[in-house]
Amino acid sequence: MTRDYIRERQQRTGWLLVAPALVLLLLVYAFPILRAFWLSFFTENLSTNLEPVFSGLDNYAQLVQDGRFWQSMRNTAVFTVLTLIFELGLGLIIALSLDQAFRGRGLVRTVAILPWALPTALIALAWRWIFNTEFGVWNDILLRLQLIASPVNWLGDPFWAMVAVIAADVWKTTSFVAILLLAGLQSISQDLYEAHALDGASPWQSFRQITLPLIAPQIVIAMLFRFAQSFGIFDLIQVMTGGGPGGATEMVSIYIYAAVMRYLDFGYGAALVTVTFLVLVAIVGLTWLYLARLRAKTE
Amino acid sequence: MVASLGVRFPGLILINNFFGRTFSRFFSRGWKRLSLIFLALAVTAGALLVGVGVRAQQPVTISFLLRAVEADQMQGLAEQFMAENPDIRIEMVRGPNAADAVENLYTTSFLLGDSPYDILFSDVVWIPKFAAAGWLLDLSDRVSEADLADFLGADVTAGLYQDGLYRMPFRSDMGMLYYRTDLLDQVGLDPPETFSDLIAASEAIQAQTDVSWGFVWQGLQYEGIVTNFVELIAGYGGFWIDPDSLEVGLDQPAGIQAAEFMKTVIADSITPPGVTNYVEEDSLRQFENGNAAFLRNWPYVWAEANREGSPVAGKIALKPMVHDEGQQSAACLGGWGFGISATTPHPEEAWRVVEFFTSYGPMKQFVTEFAYVPSRRALFTDPDVLAEFPHFEQLLEVAETAIPRPPVGQYAQVSDILQRYLSASISDQMTPEAAMQAAAGETRRVLGVES
Repeated sequence: MTRDYIRERQQRTGWLLVAPALVLLLLVYAFPILRAFWLSFFTENLSTNLEPVFSGLDNYAQLVQDGRFWQSMRNTAVFTVLTLIFELGLGLIIALSLDQAFRGRGLVRTVAILPWALPTALIALAWRWIFNTEFGVWNDILLRLQLIASPVNWLGDPFWAMVAVIAADVWKTTSFVAILLLAGLQSISQDLYEAHALDGASPWQSFRQITLPLIAPQIVIAMLFRFAQSFGIFDLIQVMTGGGPGGATEMVSIYIYAAVMRYLDFGYGAALVTVTFLVLVAIVGLTWLYLARLRAKTE
Repeated sequence: MVASLGVRFPGLILINNFFGRTFSRFFSRGWKRLSLIFLALAVTAGALLVGVGVRAQQPVTISFLLRAVEADQMQGLAEQFMAENPDIRIEMVRGPNAADAVENLYTTSFLLGDSPYDILFSDVVWIPKFAAAGWLLDLSDRVSEADLADFLGADVTAGLYQDGLYRMPFRSDMGMLYYRTDLLDQVGLDPPETFSDLIAASEAIQAQTDVSWGFVWQGLQYEGIVTNFVELIAGYGGFWIDPDSLEVGLDQPAGIQAAEFMKTVIADSITPPGVTNYVEEDSLRQFENGNAAFLRNWPYVWAEANREGSPVAGKIALKPMVHDEGQQSAACLGGWGFGISATTPHPEEAWRVVEFFTSYGPMKQFVTEFAYVPSRRALFTDPDVLAEFPHFEQLLEVAETAIPRPPVGQYAQVSDILQRYLSASISDQMTPEAAMQAAAGETRRVLGVES
């Protein structure tokens, strides 16, 4: 009984201590989301003199028919899935290499993190120049190697523009994934590998049976981080292609920015935000359920 | 007792010594507090009065945001104004050099309700949106029709929004066709007048000389492709949006022809395929290096392509954009001007600043010093200006054909629609006809008109 009482009191103190942080979180996360949700039922744009006028589900009805929104959703999905796959694959390879002992490892590790540490807008500008049709390095290299006969208009072609922005993002953020995975790798005891090798396991078997399961938490964390960032990608696209050509690389965030900041269509912008937010929550929720079930199965 | 009070309030010792005992007796408990309060009040009021007096003599600050390069260029005029008007101080806030970044900064500051800027230094296309949002003062009762008649017609129309005048034109800008006189001589052709002339001349030059390309322009998905299109659609006798009836003309024959022209010149190798990624600089570079015979661009090209060391210096001329048989040339209007914030506490002073910058003398000084295009018609034929820029004679001809982009509040949105579909059309994602039909449909939806 006394123990229960003490525990209850400790819990109450605990809640009191985290209360300020909770209030802060509610203010900076819950309030804007709820406010956007509320605003999405109003029409507030230049035709209403920027005054909110209740319009029910009008914004959502418009959104369902809005080809530009669905195109940007599709672009965002393609971009997110492809960057995630490449970043995980390359990140894992880099992490495994950096985990080996070799001369100058510290230096290489530092250099590897550099792309991630540089400002995205600058990187995007540099990539834009690299892919420039007439003056870009990339066309120059390919021409010299005689891999292409005439300069390719990388950023002016819908397909290649998407490839180019994915390449730029993979180049920039793979090192972030690599560093996270490297942390996971270093926490694995060497004894495990030794014992496994003594049992006659091949390196490939060790990798699948020891390395992968033990860095699974780091993989999940890295992928969640990267998923959220890729889904909301803005600066890289804005600088490299501005969403072009013909909207072929326009992401949801770019469209929302245009709707709110350039068109001053706050109601519709709020509807876009709400739907995007729900999609994001749904994907994270499904992933979480899947992982939970997986864990339950292995236990 | 008085002494102890004196410790807390040293000034009281002075008062006490000065007025002597009788006064100090008067300082009994209740009175003491009351008098102190009165004394404090009197001192505060006095200080306030003095402060207001000083303030009235201090100049009123009129501030506006502009691109840093332009702030440098306008600094001289601002200083001249301040020397002549000691009661006003002009504060030019130096913004980023990208115009749309400046527009966003203005937008956010106006959205807050109480803009820190008294004046809006505005690109011509921002005006409808800012006026529709109610962020600008109507200037029509401050300036007479006669005064406005001195400015280029399109520059005045571009400042109108639903019967109000929201912008005084400062420097103008318009699109035109530059051509290589030497190449035309070589193939024995006159400067082109029509679209088919342009294509024929390009093909002749590409066949008979070692110049690779005929006609270069701007095709990236951005505002530039729209300015090119505005000239083409008007050249085919059509229109984008009628500002009065809000009728959309993109899917009418002229609109489709204009979109088809963009695609044809690329397909026929008159324009390099890289044009789908060109901004002004890219097309200028091709023209300047002697790789192209014709260039659609803005007035700044004249000085740039004629500078010493330029391979085409002295070999170029300019003329209004080509048009279809039986139609008129059109130049898309650009340029910058001044609006006044609806929330400024100093509208009178702000107007005086605007009036100064847009008056004859300062504008003349500015355009001759920095080779910009004036918005006052008389400056094109001013002998001093002509002595410096002889090509202003042809430029006036171009300027008279200038047309503004549609003055609708949702301009940014309808421009984006057009940009996307034009870009989709020239990068082979859609046929010109399908692209223009889709663009027209979306534009009508945004404007709230039934198709």
